[in-house]
Amino acid sequence: MDQFLQQLLNGVTLGSLYALIAVGYTVVYGIVQLINFAHGEVFMIGAFGSLATWTLFFKGQTGLWVLPFMIIGAVLASVAVALLLERVAYRPLRNAPRLAPLITAIGISVFLQEAVRLFYPGAKSALPFPQIDLVTGAAFQVGGITVRRSAIFVIGALVVCAVLLWFFINRTKMGRGMLAVSQDPDTARLMGINVDRIIAVAFAIGAALAGVAGVAQGLQNSNIDFFIGFMAGLKAFTAAVLGGIGNIYGAVVGGLVLGVVEAMAVQFIPGTFGGSPWKDVWAFVLLIVVLVFRPQGLMGARVVDRA
Amino acid sequence: MTTTQSRAAVSNPRPSSQWLLTLVGVVLLVVGCLLPWAFVPAILGNVTVLLYPGAMQILMIIVGAIAVFFLLLRTGRFAAADRLLDSARGLRALSVTAAAFMVLAVVIIAMQAPGLANADPGVYVSLVGALLMVAGSFRMPSDPKVDPITVHLPSWVEIVVIVVMLAIALFGAAYALGQEDGTIFSLFLLFLAGSVVALARAGLFSWIGVIAQRNRRVITLGAFAVAFLFPFTQNGSDANMSIATQVLIFATTALGLNIVVGLAGLLDLGYIAFLGAGAYVSAMMSHSAFATIGWKPPFIVVVVIAACVSSILGLIIGSPTLRVSGDYLAIVTLAFGEIFRLTVNNLDGNNGPDLTNGPNGIPGIPELEIGSFNFGDTHTLLGIPLGRFANYYFLMLVVAAIIITIFTRLNNSRIGRGWVAIREDEKAAEAMGVNVFGLKLFAFAGGAFLAGMAGSIKAHQDVSVTPDQYIFLESAFLLAAIVLGGMGTVAGVLVGATVLKLLPEKLRFVADYRLLTFGLLLVLMMRFRPEGLVPSRRRALEFHEDDTKLAERIEEAHLEGMTKTEGRA
Repeated sequence: MDQFLQQLLNGVTLGSLYALIAVGYTVVYGIVQLINFAHGEVFMIGAFGSLATWTLFFKGQTGLWVLPFMIIGAVLASVAVALLLERVAYRPLRNAPRLAPLITAIGISVFLQEAVRLFYPGAKSALPFPQIDLVTGAAFQVGGITVRRSAIFVIGALVVCAVLLWFFINRTKMGRGMLAVSQDPDTARLMGINVDRIIAVAFAIGAALAGVAGVAQGLQNSNIDFFIGFMAGLKAFTAAVLGGIGNIYGAVVGGLVLGVVEAMAVQFIPGTFGGSPWKDVWAFVLLIVVLVFRPQGLMGARVVDRA
Repeated sequence: MTTTQSRAAVSNPRPSSQWLLTLVGVVLLVVGCLLPWAFVPAILGNVTVLLYPGAMQILMIIVGAIAVFFLLLRTGRFAAADRLLDSARGLRALSVTAAAFMVLAVVIIAMQAPGLANADPGVYVSLVGALLMVAGSFRMPSDPKVDPITVHLPSWVEIVVIVVMLAIALFGAAYALGQEDGTIFSLFLLFLAGSVVALARAGLFSWIGVIAQRNRRVITLGAFAVAFLFPFTQNGSDANMSIATQVLIFATTALGLNIVVGLAGLLDLGYIAFLGAGAYVSAMMSHSAFATIGWKPPFIVVVVIAACVSSILGLIIGSPTLRVSGDYLAIVTLAFGEIFRLTVNNLDGNNGPDLTNGPNGIPGIPELEIGSFNFGDTHTLLGIPLGRFANYYFLMLVVAAIIITIFTRLNNSRIGRGWVAIREDEKAAEAMGVNVFGLKLFAFAGGAFLAGMAGSIKAHQDVSVTPDQYIFLESAFLLAAIVLGGMGTVAGVLVGATVLKLLPEKLRFVADYRLLTFGLLLVLMMRFRPEGLVPSRRRALEFHEDDTKLAERIEEAHLEGMTKTEGRA
């Protein structure tokens, strides 16, 4: 039982991270029907943005008060990159055949990875992420299970972000505009909504959450490298599809489910096909199975065939 | 100094002041090339000898010769050719090339000699000549030219043109590959790209394209003859043949992917997994000490098994996922590619059965042997030694020929038409009675089959298989070769694959920025020329829907093709 609870906690932690990134895929998809394949790289940029903030302004500091600044740095970096991408690469292709934006996204993905690897000092190998008081450090025991401090941060970040996102979408004019555009962009435009701006906001929201996820990833793994975006992006996309792409709450649920499934697979699949070497395989198998049997996802808002 | 003159001469385009200015530029360029460029013999080949131009100088003399050809066209004496070619646009591109080339040459001399003190007057004479050419040609008025489709030449002229083009390609490739020095290679590349752009701007390539379309069989056979002759130009040197073989394997795989992406329009981001499956099957059944399967059938059988295993994997991944379309298929295939990589990485006996030897892969795969012909030995043909890589090169050439034949036959068949219909509008195709699911599955499994076939040879050529040869980036590279070259065309994929594999091998000094450039290239291509360098016409139209002129031309070409076949029947 303890083992089960322990894996559940691990899964929820991992899943929170996926969920934070998955929101970015789903928000953008809901509005422009575009899979922003480079979103994993935006997350990676966020992680490096927070590291850069710390190195430039707070080097050597470990107080908790540094953390908000690091989060701001991460969010600024990832939002700036995402907005730039949207403006320079995606907007000109909005009416192009569907293949074009996807290939562009692959190009951007490779470009961003390489740009960080080549131009961020020391990024050719993994860089240590700063340790912050209270959020990192010795784990504590609750009953029979080990709770890492960073896990609390990750889950807390997801909860806070989800509440803010809910508030933004349902209670602000901009959020209502987003809903309108996702339902019918042409009519929304007729109603006086600036569709271009809404699309940019969608990219920015996804990027902001990815930036937070970047900080969380750094605290959780205590180092970051230029390649973290690829796998995380792929998993988060899986989570978004799992929850029903286009559905924001679906992305959160999908992320949590995917995280828990991975953690459980490590512990409970018997024989030699269990264990951590296979956990990614099981995550992708889950993606394929979901697409086959329930293409609209668990929470299903949008039909996949729309793609 | 000539501004007033040229302005006065605009009303009378030939032989005008800008014509003379360009001619003076060309003469200076060529004269400069006959003079020494530098005192130091070690740079740019050897450019120190008076009246004995080095290779780099000869390139500029060739540019000068082409420029003279264009200038002669403008005298109005060769009306037939002048009608066809826009010599002013050609001259502009040519003079920009010459100027860039000369500036680069000066920079290289300054950096490597080192110092400009080591430059001889020749290089400056040529530089000034090139700049005069720029000044002259940019004032020349363009003249309209006729659409090449409407021009009919005697067929022997067309065939001669094709043969000349192919011969130039062969010698160009042999020469470029022979260059070890990065700076010389980049200069040669600049020259090549510049001349190609100049001829294309002048309209020569659309004309050659029309000729090629009319004499497709001649050009295909000719291209194969050139590819076949290439190893004989290398004099047994393995260094270049190894690159050539890698290019060919890459191109062959990309051709297979082009059936899936270019014809059927299914974006497959995990294609490398099928190549990997073929390679692993071939490795596991080889005589390597690390091979995990005891059964050692002859290679022909292994090829068939490898291809079948690949296509079965294609069916397994394709049959459920082809029901979802577009972007989802892309991501699912990407996930499948990752599953493949992780699986071969894991199957080492500790995690699951021992099939692939885990992260170490299967090393020490012996040379291929078909009958008594060992691919590792050097064979001598007509007194020219052909080494190990040349043997694999010939084998891959055969495979490429098979795949190209399949590709073109499919493209012109009922199946190919079905694919095009699906690609352009799936719902309409289904309504017209096209078996959408069946055709998609066939494309997917067929593509996988071809990749498996190529993979089984690649395993022997590479001597070992490891999981990190089959990562996502390789799939992205294959896709990029198709996008760069032009979706759905054979020539395009060959061009794309050559550019993507050859350049990083030769330009080692930019090796670190290779991927960065690659990413940027993909983005820029999608933005500015989404149909690729050598697009299929139909595809080009898909990306430029409101280009009515293009649509008319395609219609015309199509009609012409129809009347031709009717006439033959």
